[in-house]
Formats: sequence, C-alpha cells, structure tokens
Amino acid sequence: MSAKIVDNPFFVLGVSPDASRIEIEREAQKLLGMLELEFPAARVYMTPLGEQHRTAEAVRAAVAALRDPYQRLVAELWARHAPAQPMPQRGATERMGWTPPIRRSLGWKP
Amino acid sequence: MPETPLFVGIDLGTTNSAAAVFDGEHVSVVRNAQGASVTPSVVRIDKQGRVTVGTRARRFIEQDPANTAAEFKRLMGTDEQIEFPAAAVKKKPQELSAEVLKALRQDIADQLGASIERAVISVPALFELPQSSATSDAARLAGFQRVELLQEPIASALAAGWRAEQDGAGTWLVFDFGGGTFDASLLETRDGLLRVVGHDGDNFLGGRDFDWRITEHLASMLSVVPSRKNPEHASALRALRLVAEDAKIELSRSDRAQVTLAQPLSIDGQDVDVDLELTRGTVEGLCAPLVDRALDVCVRLLTANGLGPGRLARIVLVGGPTVMPLVRARVAARLEAPIAEGHDPMTLVAQGAALYAATAGLDGRAPAQAFAPGRQVWLQYPAVSSDLTPHVVGKFVGDNPPAKVKLVRNDGAWSSADATVGEDGTWLTSVTLLPRRACTFTIEAKTMGGDNIAVSPPSLTIVQGLTIGDPPLSRTLGVALANGHVQTYLERGAPLPARRTFTHHTVETVAKGSSESVLRIPIVQGELEAANLCRLVGTLDIGGDVVKDTVPTGSAVEVTIELDRGGRLSARALVPVIGQVFEQVAHLLVPDAAPEALDSAIRDLRRQLMDLRTDAFRHGLGQVIEKLDRLEARLSEAERDIDAAHGGDADAAQRARRALLDVDATMAEADLARKWPELDAASRQAAITASSTVGFHGTDAERALLNDVLAAMEKARKDRDAPELERQMRLAQRLSSAAFNRTPEAWEWYFEDAASEVSRARDLPRANKLVSEGKVAIDRGDAEELRRVVKALWQLLPEDSEARKRGFDSGVR
Repeated sequence: MSAKIVDNPFFVLGVSPDASRIEIEREAQKLLGMLELEFPAARVYMTPLGEQHRTAEAVRAAVAALRDPYQRLVAELWARHAPAQPMPQRGATERMGWTPPIRRSLGWKP
Repeated sequence: MPETPLFVGIDLGTTNSAAAVFDGEHVSVVRNAQGASVTPSVVRIDKQGRVTVGTRARRFIEQDPANTAAEFKRLMGTDEQIEFPAAAVKKKPQELSAEVLKALRQDIADQLGASIERAVISVPALFELPQSSATSDAARLAGFQRVELLQEPIASALAAGWRAEQDGAGTWLVFDFGGGTFDASLLETRDGLLRVVGHDGDNFLGGRDFDWRITEHLASMLSVVPSRKNPEHASALRALRLVAEDAKIELSRSDRAQVTLAQPLSIDGQDVDVDLELTRGTVEGLCAPLVDRALDVCVRLLTANGLGPGRLARIVLVGGPTVMPLVRARVAARLEAPIAEGHDPMTLVAQGAALYAATAGLDGRAPAQAFAPGRQVWLQYPAVSSDLTPHVVGKFVGDNPPAKVKLVRNDGAWSSADATVGEDGTWLTSVTLLPRRACTFTIEAKTMGGDNIAVSPPSLTIVQGLTIGDPPLSRTLGVALANGHVQTYLERGAPLPARRTFTHHTVETVAKGSSESVLRIPIVQGELEAANLCRLVGTLDIGGDVVKDTVPTGSAVEVTIELDRGGRLSARALVPVIGQVFEQVAHLLVPDAAPEALDSAIRDLRRQLMDLRTDAFRHGLGQVIEKLDRLEARLSEAERDIDAAHGGDADAAQRARRALLDVDATMAEADLARKWPELDAASRQAAITASSTVGFHGTDAERALLNDVLAAMEKARKDRDAPELERQMRLAQRLSSAAFNRTPEAWEWYFEDAASEVSRARDLPRANKLVSEGKVAIDRGDAEELRRVVKALWQLLPEDSEARKRGFDSGVR
C-alpha cells in the first residue's frame, strides 16, 4: 500500500492536489524534457516517506492516471491523507489472496 | 529543403489506403498518380515479376485473381504466404503491405518533392502485438527509417477534433466502419486535450460483410447457385463480389443499379449469364441488420459510460460504408445526435495520423545532414501543445556554456525573459503561443559579457492545437504463471512507452546442456485473470542448451517487458544465479487456424453454450440469456467463416479463430453471471471482513479508499455486473491484506497456513527445517526472521499441473 504514497502521481509530478489539468500537463512535459537532458534536479522527488527516484516512465504513468477522473480522485485522497510512517510492502512474487483468518471465516480450508 | 515541417500520416487499410501531410497549420491529402485520394490495397505480380499496386492492380482481381492479392492486411502477423504462380514467388503479408506503403511513399515524394523517411501508420484498435509488429516490418521494407503506429479510432478522433470549433468541448462519438472491423470510440475534448473515454467494437463486422451479403443475394438469383464451401466456386464468387461492390457504391447515389458481367461465369462446368438488377431498397434491406448490430455496440458503449440518447454533441462517421445514405440516416435516428459534416470519411484516418506525427515530433524528412554553424544545444519541447504557455528545456553541449538565453517569436510581437544558463549548460524557460498557429522562435544566446553567440539549431517551432497524450495500450499485457493465473505487467490504457519488471521464481530445474529442459515464460494479452482466456503473443524460452550453468528450482528470474510508443514488444529475463540475460522472444505469430481444429472448437463451444443456456433458463436470468443469444449469433457467423475456411479462405479462418476466442472469453463472463448468487454472498462477506480489518488496523487513507470500494461494490451489485463486482472484491481483499499485514500476528498466521501444507513441499527436509526455524522465530518474537521463513516456505510448495497447462506451460510463478 505504500506504493499509493511513493508512486502518488501528485508527488511524482511535484504538483499540488488542486492543480488544474493544464498545469499538470505542462509540468509533466517539462519534467520529461528535463529527464531527457539529465537535469540532476529532475531525478528525485519528495514524498512523506522520503526522497524517491524519478523516471520518465513514472512521469508518463502519473499524468495518464490524473487524466482519468476516478484515478485522480483516489490520488488526491492519498496525497492529502498520506501517513508519515513506512508500511510493509508486498512484492509481486507473494501470494495475493485472503488472509488465513478471513479464509477460515468464509468456511474455506486453511 | 522546404522550410515548414512535413508530418506524414498513412492509413494502411484492408481495402483502401491513403496518405496525408500536415505542415503545422493545414492538413492535405496526398493524391496518387491517378489523381485519387485513396489507393486500393491490392498488389499484382505478373509473369516478369513486375509489381503493380492500387487501381491498376485492382482491375486484375477478376481477370487474373491468382496473381492479384487483396485484403492481405487481415493475414498480417500470421505465417501464411501468398502465392503468385505466374512469377513463381511467394510473399508474406507484410511484404505486400510494404508494396502499398512504397507506392504511397512515392506519391508523397512526387507531390512534395521531398523523400519521406519517417511517418505515422494507423492500425486497428484491437490489433494484437504480432499484427502490429508485422506492420512495423512492412514499413521498414518500404524504406521508412522510423515509424510510429497509432490506433485508427484515435487518428480519426484527432482529425475530427482538430477541425472542430474552438468551443467544441463536449462528448462525441467516432463511428468507424472499416473494411473488416467496426470501432466505436467515445471521446471528450476539454482544455484542448483529447481523451478517449471509452472504446467498444466488433472485430468481425465491416464493409466486407456488406459486400458478402449482396454477393450471396446475387448468387442466389443465378441459375446455378455457387457456394462458399466449394473451392471450385471461388473464382465465380470473386467476380460476383467485385460487381456487388460497384453496385453498392452506385446505389449510394441512385435508386437502381444494373449488375452485368461481360463474360458468363463458369459454375460446375456450366456457363451462367449474369444480368441482374439491384434496387436501393433491396440492398438496404440486406445491410440494415449489420448497421443495427453496429448501433447496438454504440448504445452499449454509451450506456456503460452513463450517457443516454441525445447526450452526444456530435457523431463523426469514418470509413467507406458510412457513405451509404442508409447508414447516415439510421445512425442519426437511433443515437439522436447530429452527424458532423465536412469530414471525408475515406481519408480522415490518414489526416489524423499526420496530425499525430506532429504531436510525436516525427518530421517526415530525414534529419538535417549538416549542423548549422554555432554553439550546439539539445532542446526538449512539445512539437504540438494545447497549452498556450508550454516550457522549453535546453542544454548546451560542452564546457563554458553561454550565460543567458532568450526566445524571440518570429512575428516579433513576443519574446521571453532572459533565462539563466546553469554551469552544466542547462536552462528552462516558457514561451507564449498564438492559438491554432505554428509559431517559430529564434534562440538568442549571450555570453557573460553580453556578446551574441550563434546557436545550432537556431530556432524551434511549436504548433498550438489539440493534443492527445501518450497512446494508450489497447490490451492488458502480462506473464502467464504456472498456477494458470496471469501476472499483469501493463494494464490496458497504460501510456506508452512503458516498461515493467517483476521477479518470478522457477518451478523446475533447467539442467545445463539438456535441450529437453526449457524454462518457458509465456507473454499473454487479455483482460481476464485466467491465462487460458488470454492470447499468447510471445514466449521467452530459456533452454538447457543456452544456460551457462544449471538453474535450480526456485531461482529468481527478473522479467522485464517493454513496449515502445508503437506497441512493439520486447522482453528480457535476467537470471541472477547464473548472471545471464535472455532476450530472444519467439513465436510472435498469430497461431495458425486449421479448419479441422476450428470445427472441434466450435463443437465444444456449442455444447458449453447449451449448458449455460439450460442453467440460465432454470434460474430465470434474463440478462444472461440475452448475452447467450448474442453469442449464438456470433457462433453461427463463425460457422459460415469455417465453411469458407474449408473452401481454402485463410482469411476467413483467422476471422473464425478470433471470433471463437472472443466467444470463449464472453462465455467465461456469462458463467460468472450465472454464479451470481454465490458471488453476491461472497462479496457481502468480503465487505464485512474488509471493514473490520481496515477499521482496526488500516490507515486513514485506507479507510477512505475502502469507502470508495464499498460504494463501487454496491453499484456493481445493483447493476448485476459480475466482472466488476469481482474486481472490486479483489480490491477490498487487497486493502484487507495490507491492513492485516500490519498486525503482529499476521506472519504467524501465514506461517501456520504454510506449515500445514508442508507434506506437499518439494524439498521436504529443507521445508521441515524451515518449519522448525519458524517456530523458534515465533518464540523469540523475531518478526523479520519469521517473514523470511514464510517466504522461503512458499517457494517450496508445488503448483498444480492442470493449472500449469492452462498457463501455457509457464515455468515461473
């Protein structure tokens, strides 16, 4: 879940959750240009969980997410209510599924 | 070399192709040597091996069908070869497409006096990866240095939106009837940015279906009726189809058309004269059901996006069949919206592709050979900008850069403030554009002392107008796993280019030197989580004969999947234990469709459909029955294609193969709907558990998000939308897990769970050792250690072999 914070489009782009659509597009285009020309300042961004590495892919994904009204709403929520301490992260290789007590409560075999 | 930029777009169509150029302010359609704006996608190779393309080749379809090929676009991405017996050559579909592209490239050169090296080529929205990569190959064969691919509906939307009034904001629909496919796209323009809100379509409905309906009607009126099932009748049917096509076009303007052939047809050894009359009424009667089918797709798309009738600002018609008065009238009436006038339905896609070339900064001419004299600077700016004040980013090459930079607009009415250049040569400024114009800015650089320095390049041009963001991925891409599920890498709609890496683990040992043992990583495309319902688009095979050393079971494999802007796929696997990288993706082909295999597949589907139907009737599920009826109709159509496949029509075979896959996937959804009562109960239970875990252990943000998910679940339940409910249920599940993982007991639970299955583990002594280590960790309260133990245990538990088969024999999890 900490991905919701460190990958939050507003943090990636470094814009406020109130930014207009035009401002977001303008900022993204500028960041992509700066990354392409290897501006040192463009390579990192700040989140409540510390400094993160910024890539062109992340910028593109962020601006695409904010174009979708629903995804933007979710991103705004996370950007405004981000908790300050790190959380355990689940990698792609882990099994996703019901946690055992929940599985049991649904009458499934443990 | 001309001063203005030249952006080139090409619509490489099934029946017709077209090209257009955009100079920064105006789009113009390129005319071919015959003066026409469209070139038929037909290639002929004669006895001497001479290649003819377009109208001149099309004339030979009837006279010399064996050496004249049409509709080869549908075979792109297959390894089907097209034979030209007179010249005794075989050509791949992409080689024939390359001939069409070459002809268009020549037309552009003739008209503009410039050789074109780079262009944007449009492809159907639902093209699979092998088809896209075959299109890129065709462009390379035609001599293009670089091409980008663009989805056709986006191209037409861009062209239509560009022309729209300044206040053309709103939601609108692109109704695109191609030769072989129908696409409906719902778009929105706001603040100069075009967004694809939704897309739906029918991959098996197009202009050629109109032609076949009319052909079959004409055939039924002959004294001896030819059949598509019989390969011997193919030439008679081809001749009929050609006149049917002409009659259809003629009937767009007049009420009756005479259908005559100079030579009698030879059917079963008899001479059959063709002298028939067609009326507009007859043809409209034949075609109306097809138009209605397209309209059903539109209504479904509008409903899915909460739009009732009459809510559209306008409808843009694209494609040859939309020229028919019947289509225009029916569309306007059913969707209760005005048809946008002033667009040429035959070249709109090419025009959009040209506009997109500008957005992508893909000037058609070869890059300047010599650098202008002066201090070299790298520039980054949007070639097309909807924003009136975009940023320009630059970097001077080399040491001791100039101190200040200023951009001056060429009309002299505006210039930027002085931007300070950093010690590393970097600078940043913004410019002001004129609406709907191409603006050129001169770059003025000064030294610390105030002396002017010449800069190379000396200027830059930005076009102000509608833009579209990065092209979205049309289908979700992932890796099939040994448990039959799919690990999603890139979601549908993800902006391209994109790249993602995940770490998997092998489920089998790959022995060094053994060609028998292969680690297979199947790459699939599709929207469902079950691998067998997705399409295999490529595999990355790592064989025992190429590994430097034996790769033991459970080894980590880092797989990276990358797509460029044109949707070209590359995959890479890194195996850290042996420090080797593998990048050879094989089998990037659309599978071959043997008629016998299709026969047995359709029998299976029919049986499943019967079962589903009986069940749906028993439970009175009206919605499901409706869905099944639609599938039934699709199957009947596929049957006709399979008949034609038996008659030797490879194109119809591919069509049938895709139709069957689609039916299979839709059936899986219908099956989900059938299980509604169970799903409903499970989702309620999930809501309760998620509320309590997230309530106790979640963060504020998780709680807020769960509220959204619960609302979405409620809506899905109300709409009886099973796939959506399942999706939301999974989200709730993940929120639960995340919150649960934060509790101290979480990993103890996981441990007990894994320990209870330990008898099935692969390496039993090691598994038992891990269990003891885990117990010690719990006693010591060492959460980190426990976590490590559980993860190691999970690696040792086996996957089911049936599931693995469904996962395309995947060797990873």
